Amino acid sequence: MNLQRFGAWGAILVGAVYFLVPLIGTLEFSLRMRRDGYSLDAYRSVFSDSQFHQTFGYSMLMALLTIVFGMLLVVPTAYWVRLRLPQMRQVVEFITLLPLVIPAIVIVFGYLRMYNSSSILPLTGSVTGTNILLVLSYITLSLPYMYRAVDTAMRAIDVRTLTEAAESLGAGWGTILFRCIFPNVMSGVLSGAFITLAIVMGEFTMAALLNRPAFGPYLQLVGANKAYEPSALAVIAFAITWLSMGLLNLATRFSKIAPARA
Amino acid sequence: MSFLTLQNIQKSFGPVQVVHNFDMAIEKGEFVSFLGPSGCGKTTILRMIAGFEKPSGGTLTIAGKDQRPLKPNQRNIGMVFQAYALFPNMTVHDNVAFGLKVAGKAKAEIDARVKEMLALIRLDHLADRFPYQMSGGQQQRVALARALAVKPQLLLLDEPLSALDAKIRVSLREEIRLIQQKLGITTVFVTHDQEEALSMSDQIGVMNKGKVEQLGTPKEIYSTPRTAYVADFVGAANRIDVSISDANADGTAHIQLGGASILARNTLPAATRDGILIMRPEDLRLSANASAEAQALPGTVVKRQYLGGKTSYKLALADDTVISVESHGDNHDGFDIGTKVMATIDPSKAVVIAS
Repeated sequence: MNLQRFGAWGAILVGAVYFLVPLIGTLEFSLRMRRDGYSLDAYRSVFSDSQFHQTFGYSMLMALLTIVFGMLLVVPTAYWVRLRLPQMRQVVEFITLLPLVIPAIVIVFGYLRMYNSSSILPLTGSVTGTNILLVLSYITLSLPYMYRAVDTAMRAIDVRTLTEAAESLGAGWGTILFRCIFPNVMSGVLSGAFITLAIVMGEFTMAALLNRPAFGPYLQLVGANKAYEPSALAVIAFAITWLSMGLLNLATRFSKIAPARA
Repeated sequence: MSFLTLQNIQKSFGPVQVVHNFDMAIEKGEFVSFLGPSGCGKTTILRMIAGFEKPSGGTLTIAGKDQRPLKPNQRNIGMVFQAYALFPNMTVHDNVAFGLKVAGKAKAEIDARVKEMLALIRLDHLADRFPYQMSGGQQQRVALARALAVKPQLLLLDEPLSALDAKIRVSLREEIRLIQQKLGITTVFVTHDQEEALSMSDQIGVMNKGKVEQLGTPKEIYSTPRTAYVADFVGAANRIDVSISDANADGTAHIQLGGASILARNTLPAATRDGILIMRPEDLRLSANASAEAQALPGTVVKRQYLGGKTSYKLALADDTVISVESHGDNHDGFDIGTKVMATIDPSKAVVIAS
C-alpha cells in the first residue's frame, strides 16, 4: 500500500518536474536581460513594441469573432441534431472531429485553392475577405472542442421536453433557442469559448499562410530575431492559456451551482 | 357539438400503426383520462392533440376548429409533462410568466396573473426559487401553474404524477382535480395508474393497442366492464368462462357454476349463450355457513394471504374452478386452509360479458 502511494507520488513528481522545469527555466531566462541581475526588461521591451499590441489585438478580435460565429453555428446544430436528427449524431460528431486528424496546413492549402483570387468566391483577393477566411479557418479548428462542450451541456438537459414545453406556451423557434436552450447550455458555451480563445491566440499555420498580422506569427518572428523577448512572450502566452483554463473552471463551477435539470 | 373531437384518428410510425381509427368526443369542462399500459398509444394521442405529432389520418377539432394545420404554439393548449420540464435557468415566477411574456402581455398584467397562479397552487412564497431548489411535487405544481397561466382552452396532463412518490402523488392528484373543477377547464389526462384515473376523472377511456376498449364513468368502467381486457386492467377480477342457462327479460341470467346456480347481469346479445362471468374479489362475501343459500358458491379455502386490512383467499369450487375472494372487516383472516365456506355475491355485482 505504502509502495503504491510512493509510486503514485513519484509519478506526479516526475510529471511536475517535466512540466515545470522548462517553464521555470523560461521564466528565469526571460528575467535575465540585464547582465547585473533579474529585471522585467524583456517584458518592458515586449509591451512597448507596437507590433505586439497590433498582433495581440488582432488575434483577440479574431478569437472573439470565432467564438460568436462558431457558437451561432454549433449551438443550433447540436440542438437540432439532439431534437430532430438523433440518428445523425455520429455523423456530425465525426465531421466535427475531422480538424483533429487533418493537419492545419492541409486545411489552409485547401482554402487557398478554393478561395483564391481567381475562384468563384475570391476571399483572398481582399483584406476583409482574408480576415473572414481566417475566422472561418479558426471556427473549423475549434469545432471539435466547441461542439463537444455544447453537446455535453445539452446532454444534461432534456432538450426535447423543454422545447415542447416552450412550444405549448406559444414560443417560436427564436425564443426557444435563445431564452430556453442557450442559457441552459451556457457552461458548455463558455467552456468552448475559452478553449477557442486559447487555440486562436497561439495559432500559427493558418495566420502565417494567409499572411495576416496575428499573434502566432509575431511570436515566431520575435523568436527568430531576439534573445530574451521570446521567453517573455512564451510566459505571456502561457498566462493567457492559464487564464482561459481558470475561467473555464469557473464556468464549470457555475454550472454546478445551477444544475440544468428538466 | 363536443368541445374536443377526435374522429377516425390514425397514427403510424413507419410500418407500425400505433393508433387505429380512434374516436372520442369530450365535452367542455370535462376531465377525461386515457388509461392503458405502456405502448397502448395514449401518449401518442395526447401528443397529436398538442400538435407534437401529426396524425396519419382523421380529423381533430377543438371548439369546432380544425387543429391539424396549426403548430403547437398556435393551439393555446397547456401541457404538463411527466419530467416537469421547468426551465432550469428561470425562477418559479419567470417560469409561470414565460407564456404571458411570449404573448406580449404588459408587466403589471403578468405580475398579477403569476401571483394569482402561485396562490392557486399555494407556492406564492417560493416565487424566487429556482427549480433545482424545489421538491418534485413542488416543481410539478409550478408546471401546472405555468400551463394554466396562459388561460389555455385545453389542459393536457402527460402522466404528471408518475415521477413522484406515493404520498405526494395522492395529495397532488386531489389538488389537480380541485383546481380543474375550480377553473372548469377541459382536461385530458394520460395515466397507466387505474387509481389515479378512477379518482380524478369524469370519464375514462380504457385503451388497448391504439383503440379505446371502453369509454365511461369510473363507476361504469369498474362495475360494468364491457370486455375481458377492461375487467382485467381495471382492478382485479375473476374471469370464468360460462354458459348461461336462462336469460331473463330484465337483463339478468342464471349461471351454473361449481354446482350452484347464481343470478348475474347479462350483457350478451340475445341468443348468445357463451360468455365470461366477471366477479370482483372484493364483491364476494365469505361465510362459514354450510347450508345452501341463494347466490352462494360453495368452495374450499386452498390459499390464504394476510394483507393487513384485508385477507386474500383462493377458493376451489366443486368443479375445480378457482376463484379469488377478498375479505374485509372483523376477523377477515378467520378461514383456515381446507375450511369449507360459502362465497356469496349480489346479482348486481356479477356480470356476464361477451368472450
